[in-house]
Amino acid sequence: MKLPSGVGGWVKVLLPWLLLACLLLMPVTGTSANVIKLIFITAVWTTTSLAWNLLGGMAGQVSFGFAVFYGIGAYTTGLLMHAGYSPYLGFLCGGILAAVASFIIGIPTFRLRGPYFVIATIGVTEAVRVVMNNLDITGGAGGYRIDEKQYNPTEHYFSAIAAVSLAFLVSSLIASSKFGLALRAIKQDEDAAADLGVKPYYAKLWVHAIAAVLTGIAGGIYARRAAFFYPGDVFAFQTGISILLMPVIGGIGTVWGAVMGGVIFGIVEEELVAKFPNIHLLLYGSLLIAIILFEPDGLLGLLQRLARLLRSKRSEDPGSNNPDQVLWGRGGSQGR
Amino acid sequence: MDFSQFLNLLISALLLAGVYAAMAVGMTVIYGVMKIVNLAHAGFLMLGAYFAFELYERFHIDPLLGAVLALPVFFLFGMGVHWLLVRWLPKSDTPTLASLLLMFGFWLVLQNFGYMIWGNDDRSITTPRTLSALNIGQITVPEVNLIVFAAALVCLIVLQIVFNRSWFGRSMRALIQNPYAAQIVGVDDGRTSRLTFGLGTAFAGFAGALLGMIYTFSPDFGRQFLLRSFVIIVLGGLDSVSGVALGAVVLALVETFGPQIQFHGKYILPDSLQPAISFALLVVVLLIMPKGLASMFVRKRRLT
Repeated sequence: MKLPSGVGGWVKVLLPWLLLACLLLMPVTGTSANVIKLIFITAVWTTTSLAWNLLGGMAGQVSFGFAVFYGIGAYTTGLLMHAGYSPYLGFLCGGILAAVASFIIGIPTFRLRGPYFVIATIGVTEAVRVVMNNLDITGGAGGYRIDEKQYNPTEHYFSAIAAVSLAFLVSSLIASSKFGLALRAIKQDEDAAADLGVKPYYAKLWVHAIAAVLTGIAGGIYARRAAFFYPGDVFAFQTGISILLMPVIGGIGTVWGAVMGGVIFGIVEEELVAKFPNIHLLLYGSLLIAIILFEPDGLLGLLQRLARLLRSKRSEDPGSNNPDQVLWGRGGSQGR
Repeated sequence: MDFSQFLNLLISALLLAGVYAAMAVGMTVIYGVMKIVNLAHAGFLMLGAYFAFELYERFHIDPLLGAVLALPVFFLFGMGVHWLLVRWLPKSDTPTLASLLLMFGFWLVLQNFGYMIWGNDDRSITTPRTLSALNIGQITVPEVNLIVFAAALVCLIVLQIVFNRSWFGRSMRALIQNPYAAQIVGVDDGRTSRLTFGLGTAFAGFAGALLGMIYTFSPDFGRQFLLRSFVIIVLGGLDSVSGVALGAVVLALVETFGPQIQFHGKYILPDSLQPAISFALLVVVLLIMPKGLASMFVRKRRLT
């Protein structure tokens, strides 16, 4: 591994470890149960945000259908725990089953491109929700309950931290690997990428599967703590939307953007929604509109822009070199 | 299934198709001219239903008249939305994800206003004729469905005339066929887009009011119909008005007759799974016929 250069480089390398150390010390230092719960929820959401970002941000395939994997993780964990197995086996199997589902969904739908793929994922997630609502095994609309003998918030907390660390690690590894480079190439121009020797179809399938595993694990961890869930919750269209909104708001295509989106979303869901139950759709909707019209790189892009302004008052602005602008249609077709 | 039952189902399917066509056509013109996948369509449908509801509850205006009144109101509303949001989108001749997510964000905002004003309850528009039905021989037709069908049909015919005969319709068709060439011969892209967005929104409001006469609605009302609209316009080949009618008929027939299919004396699709039919159909059609059903009949010539 190359040694980081400059202060910024060291910050980038050390920041995740410092954050992790702080998070691990939280329960020991006697933080209140509410804060622990908040961090737990935030960590679960951030895991899904990072997972979505692999497919939607890096490879540019926007999917509304991640609730499918989340729900599969939740139900696999629930059913296995009910049968007397360890919840950790449940998380593992949930991830594996979610990956299987990702192939079943991805093999047909990845033949479609751009908005056609998006529309297909909306269809898939709605169909799955309706079917799950009518299966006996899910408890139907009545819901499903996990009866765990001892309830240990700290264990839940650490499992969520482990999941989010795993998601962060996987995202960082992919971002700096050849595979990540291939994904970015697919996002910018699928045909050109194929000409350069990338196999777009298989790359998309694999990154979809990786994202599904992470989402499935997050769903399982959530379900174990919630102890009660129903298809209209974990398989909901709304869940898929939430998973999509986080990275887009935080900064699509970047690992830290996804983390930021997840953290903001978790805090808003836990703190604001309880106080103003009518406002969160308005908040997300207007944030989404503002981000697409003014700052396609999300809040992280906004911060970077501010940082650049502060650093170099008058020097030449290099402009955003984020290739994600291709996603927003700024790339080509000036001739319309 | 005996013959009269079959006939009843067939007629109800065809009546349903009329509303479905009115519902999907707004989305189709917007997609055709601007290549925007208008997810906010669901929000406009929802607002249309509440528009007719409020007019009926407060001023006792017949919901049918309410639906007609929705046309100009939503036309202006749509032009406003275009002026405020849509025109800032980068132009492209393929659909962009930015436009999709922008309209999605706007849908969330509309939904939020729906929840703030009307709450989470299911509402319905109940008029004296809601429950009455016409009996012709063995065939029973709910009166509301018949009226709604007639209104939808009239509107579609008017739209088809505007599309084929007027200057505005000609510029819309030009932009659908080739935006670049259209601009060279002097079609005002911005103005036509604004008017088209208004027209699409007007039809969404109108269809929403009609749907509100038949179904109960809540602020989340548009979603199921949004997906049905997708199915219809994908079946119809995404940018042709006559394709929409075809798609609407196919979807209505599949939805009506799907649950009737029997295998060894058992219904393979219980009623509760009926919503899944359209979504499954959507994925299948996207995969095997990306250009829509119309492409099976017309190979070379483009339908408009």
